[in-house]
Amino acid sequence: MKKKYWLILLVSAVIVVAYVLLFMTSNSYIQSVMNMLLYNIVLVLGLNFITGLTGQMNMATAGMMALGAYSFAIADTSYNVNPWLSLLMVLALGLVIGRALGYPSLRLQGFFLSLTTIGFNEVVRITVNNLTDITGGATGYKDVRRLPFFFQFPDKNSYFYLNLIFTLIMIAIAVLVVNSKWGRAYKSIRDNYEAAEATGIDIAKLKIQAFTLAAVYSVVAGVMYAGYSQYLNPTAFATSYSQNYVAMLMVGGIGSVPGNILGATLVTVLPEVLRAFQNYYWVMFCTICLLMAIFVPDGLWSLLQKAIRFVQKKLNRNKEVA
Amino acid sequence: MSIFEGVNWLQLLVTAIAMGCIYSLIATEYTLIYNATGLVNFAHESFIVLGAYIFAGTFERALQFPHWLAIALTLVSMAAFGVLVASTILNPLRNLQFVTYAMFGTMMLSRIIIEICRLSWGSLPFTVKGFLRESINIGSTVLSESYIYIIVISIIVISLLQAFFKLTKAGKAMICVSQNKDAAALMGINVSASINLTVAISSIICGIIGILCAPLYNVSSNMVTSAATKGFCAGVIGGFGSYPGAIIGGILIGLIEQFGIIFIPSVWKDALSFGLMIIFLLIRPGGIIKRKKA
Repeated sequence: MKKKYWLILLVSAVIVVAYVLLFMTSNSYIQSVMNMLLYNIVLVLGLNFITGLTGQMNMATAGMMALGAYSFAIADTSYNVNPWLSLLMVLALGLVIGRALGYPSLRLQGFFLSLTTIGFNEVVRITVNNLTDITGGATGYKDVRRLPFFFQFPDKNSYFYLNLIFTLIMIAIAVLVVNSKWGRAYKSIRDNYEAAEATGIDIAKLKIQAFTLAAVYSVVAGVMYAGYSQYLNPTAFATSYSQNYVAMLMVGGIGSVPGNILGATLVTVLPEVLRAFQNYYWVMFCTICLLMAIFVPDGLWSLLQKAIRFVQKKLNRNKEVA
Repeated sequence: MSIFEGVNWLQLLVTAIAMGCIYSLIATEYTLIYNATGLVNFAHESFIVLGAYIFAGTFERALQFPHWLAIALTLVSMAAFGVLVASTILNPLRNLQFVTYAMFGTMMLSRIIIEICRLSWGSLPFTVKGFLRESINIGSTVLSESYIYIIVISIIVISLLQAFFKLTKAGKAMICVSQNKDAAALMGINVSASINLTVAISSIICGIIGILCAPLYNVSSNMVTSAATKGFCAGVIGGFGSYPGAIIGGILIGLIEQFGIIFIPSVWKDALSFGLMIIFLLIRPGGIIKRKKA
């Protein structure tokens, strides 16, 4: 078993090094896409706790991200609070949002909950759009001050490294949570509500916990976004973006961290790769998503896992025969 | 009392009721699908947009048919489209393991339809010339012709729907299917045919909404985004799954958002209805008219 963990660590390290090398050799457009991928991964990992594991549709990801990004920008830039202190404040805000959104999830199920989260997302977007004095309104919030690191970031793109560190930390936490007692309890809520309750799982507590995790991940992604682009605009936090994050989750694989990363990567990178199909890209992509929702609802990662298991079985059988 | 000065009550009332009727129709249209299949059709916005595009883009602009023929042909094509969607997409989605998968499926369906509209009719918004663009003067009040039509047609549509449920066999069968699919099948009702018919009716109503909205907004892919979401608010506030609830919720939202702008700046009126919906979901999730459990 130990050997397997080392192998996984080695593979991840190779991927990270390859990613950094790719970043260093790319032009600034590809660099910004690569950075976008980082905060998309964090968002999808957060969404995975609530929609993937617990099975409660959350369409407020973009709204929570907006709250994180704007409150970081306002505390840090408008009120000149220490950046790291503002980050802590934003994390605390994530806890509050998680509680506030988690509470309705105790009474509401399925689409009622998704309507609540859509409503929340829209209220956040409209509020940000209309509080022109504080947020800059539709013209946007300019010149967000960045988190300082061991060195100052002179160039826009070098901020990527700090975001990469954030992403790696978030991935590590997600792996630990998904494979822990918590992760299994979340899945039990999705798979069989009554049985979970009968085995003594405190559903109310766990649902709120899952929402809180999702909210914290989203606000961290918001801080990453604000720091990199240094410019915030309410149109980037519309409900349709929340749908995009759900698409990433569903395409990659519900419930598993590698699946989430795979989905975020595919949905973020494919539009850039398929420039040739430009006009028809989106319709093709959505059709694939719809077909996947019908035929492979657990996502690509579950297909991959099945394939790996199939090959392993074949190999084992061959060994036995030999 | 300065805020009430210069408020034209009649105009405000007619606008409020007309918008309320639109929301009621939207709520009715997805309540039909919800009752028949148990799915919330997140693609309903795109059905409405498709209806508007078929009417305005194809029959009015490209083929230049007279209005009545264009309307009739739009409704026929929407019905065919409804049957197609019901049998190919909604049926498999209905049988999925988790409701989240089905919701995701309808969201993707919505994007596909919107994209197809954009690809086939172009991304530039356009208007229908000479269709419900007149206005009527009553004293100092100027009323848009389209608002009057919206109110009248909504009343006709909703009464026809009720009559259909009460008087025809197919309508009664639909109510049976929405109450208990197994029992309905045992009584000799063809459940999937009944679902197809329901979705077809829902699509026709979407087509009517699309045609009615064409003079209000320009025909574009996001013409009814906020109205479609407010239709959800209307359903929740009135009582999810109940037809009277859909109507009451719709009219209520219309009144609140139109009269609300007397007291608060009009940019906040969208937030008002969403806030109201969230409050209702938390305090009284069943809505004003609680639907009796079958």
